[in-house]
Amino acid sequence: MLWTEIKKRLDGFELDVAFQADEGRVVLFGPSGAGKSLTLQAITGVMRPDAGRVEVNGRLLFDSASGVNLPPQVRRVGYVPQSYALFPHLTVEQNVAYGVQRLDAARRRALVQEMVELVGLQGLERRRPRELSGGQQQRVALARALASRPELLVLDEPFSNIDTGLRGTLRRELLDLQARSGITTLVVTHDLDDAFFLGSRIVVIDRGRVLQAGSREDIFYRPATRRVAEFVGTRNILRATVLESNSQRLLLDWQGRLLEAEPISENRAEPLPLSRGQDVEVCIRPTQVMIVRPDRLPHLPPPENPFCGTVVQEALQAEAYVLRFRLGDSPACPAGRAAPCDLEIELPDYVYLRLGLDRQKDATISIHRSTMHVIPVG
Amino acid sequence: MSGLATGLCLVLGIPLAWLLARSRSWLTEVLAAGALLPLVLPPTVVGYYLLTALGRNSGFGRFLEDDLGIRLVFTWQAAGIAAAVMAVPLLVMTARAGFESVDPELERVGLTLGRSRLAVFFTITLPLASPGVLAGVALAFARAMGEFGVTLMVAGSIPGRTRTMPLVVYDAVQSGDMALANTLALILTSMAMLAVFGWTTRRIRW
Repeated sequence: MLWTEIKKRLDGFELDVAFQADEGRVVLFGPSGAGKSLTLQAITGVMRPDAGRVEVNGRLLFDSASGVNLPPQVRRVGYVPQSYALFPHLTVEQNVAYGVQRLDAARRRALVQEMVELVGLQGLERRRPRELSGGQQQRVALARALASRPELLVLDEPFSNIDTGLRGTLRRELLDLQARSGITTLVVTHDLDDAFFLGSRIVVIDRGRVLQAGSREDIFYRPATRRVAEFVGTRNILRATVLESNSQRLLLDWQGRLLEAEPISENRAEPLPLSRGQDVEVCIRPTQVMIVRPDRLPHLPPPENPFCGTVVQEALQAEAYVLRFRLGDSPACPAGRAAPCDLEIELPDYVYLRLGLDRQKDATISIHRSTMHVIPVG
Repeated sequence: MSGLATGLCLVLGIPLAWLLARSRSWLTEVLAAGALLPLVLPPTVVGYYLLTALGRNSGFGRFLEDDLGIRLVFTWQAAGIAAAVMAVPLLVMTARAGFESVDPELERVGLTLGRSRLAVFFTITLPLASPGVLAGVALAFARAMGEFGVTLMVAGSIPGRTRTMPLVVYDAVQSGDMALANTLALILTSMAMLAVFGWTTRRIRW
C-alpha cells in the first residue's frame, strides 16, 4: 500500500501531487516535464520534498509534519532508473549482490542465483553490463532491486530504451514478475501503451498536478477532463450543447446534428447534473465508431445516432485502417484545401474489406449511445 | 618528500575534488578558485604566504612550536607541505573531471540498495573515477617532485635535508657541474613523462 503526498517548489516548477494505491501496479502517466521523475525521487528519498508525506505498507518514510525523513538506505524502496544505472565495473552477479553484502557468502550466493533465475539471466552471471543487450540490462537492474526484498518497486520509464518489437515481451515479463513477487510496483511512463498495459491503477499528472487518478478503465473510457482525454489518445472530442437532460434522455446538439447519449451508465447511477444550453465535450474512441453494413437487414432495430458521410482520407497501420470521415451535411470546404474531417474511425483491415470501403467511400456510421463519454465544460 | 606531498594532496584533494564535482553552490566555486590559486600565483608569493602561516610570527606557527614542540620552517616536512600546496590544484582538477564522469544515478541506486554513503563512495564512485584520480595523483607527484620556488622559500636548500632535486640542478648549473645537472634533468624529465603519459591515457573504458 502506497500513500503519497508531495509538495516541492523548484525554479519555475511547482510539484503538488497526492495519490494512493492499495496494491499491485500503479502507473504515473504524463508527458515529459510533468513532474513524474521528481515524484519518484521523493519516494526513493534522494530528493527531499518541501512538505508532504510518504507511507509504504504502513511504514512512514517521510512526513514533514512530524519531521520524519528516512534516508534512501533504509527506505526499502527498490529503484530501477530509466538508464538502469548498472555498475559498469561489476559483473551481473556482483551487481545483483550489491545490496545484500550483509548476508554470509553462502546465503548471498543462493539469493543471487534465485534472482538471476527469476529474471532468466542464467549463464550471464559473469558478464559485464556493457556486454548485455538493453533488455538484459533491464532484467539485471530488476534483479538487483528485488534482491534486497524491497517493499515497493519503482521503475522510471522502463521501456524507453527498448526496441518497439521487444517492448511487448518485456511488458508481459514485468507483469508476470510483479504477479509472482507480489511487490507493489510504481511505474512512471509517458507511453500510452505502457500505461494501459501495466497499470491496474493510473495517476495522470501534468505540470506538477494530478489531473485524474483512477482505474485503468476510468482513465481511458471516462476521462474527467478534456486534457486527460487528449493525453489518453481520445482522438474524437466533440463540442456539443445540451438540448434535453433528464433521467430518461440526454439529447445533445452537435453543430446542428442531434446526438443521443446515455443519461445513466453502469458506473454512474445518477444522471449528470446538466442543464439545457450547457456546453459539453463528447469523447468517442476511434475504434468505437461503427460503420453500418450496406446490406443491413431491414427488420433489425435502427442504428443509433446514424450519420451519412464520406471517407476523405485513410491510412493503413499495422493491421488497422485509420479513416478520416466527413459527414455529408458539413458545409463544403473551399476548393484547393484539404477536406477537414469530423470523426476519426479505426477498424481492423478485414472489416474494412468486408464493408467494401476499398471501393465505396460513402458510408453511414453509427455512434452507439453507450460509447459516448460526456464531460461537462466549465 | 614527494611522497608526503602526494599523501597530503590525496587527503585534501580527493574530498575536495568530489565536493566540487557534486556540489553546485557558489561556496564550492569559491573553494575551487582558492584551490587553483597556487597554480597562477608566483611561487615566491605562495612561499611567502606559507612562510608567514607556518613561521613563528603567526598564531598557528606559534601554537605548533610552543605547545606541540614542532618547528616546521626549514625542515623537509615544510618542503613537503610546500610541494603539496603547489600540486593540489593539478590533483583537484583532474580528479574532479574523474568524479564528474561518474553518473550520480549510480550513487543514488547504491543508496536505495541499502548501502551507506561511505560504502557507495568506495565501491562505486572511487573505482569508476579511478582513471581520473590516478592521473591526478601522478601529475601531483610529478609536480611535487619538480617544486622549486616555494620549497626554496619555506625550506631553504640545506644539503641532505631540504635540498630537493630541482634545487640541486640549480646549484649544479650555478657551479658549472653540468654532468650532475644532465643526470638529474634526465631523471626528472623521464618521471614527468611517465606522469603525463598516465594523464593522457586516463580515458579507460569499462
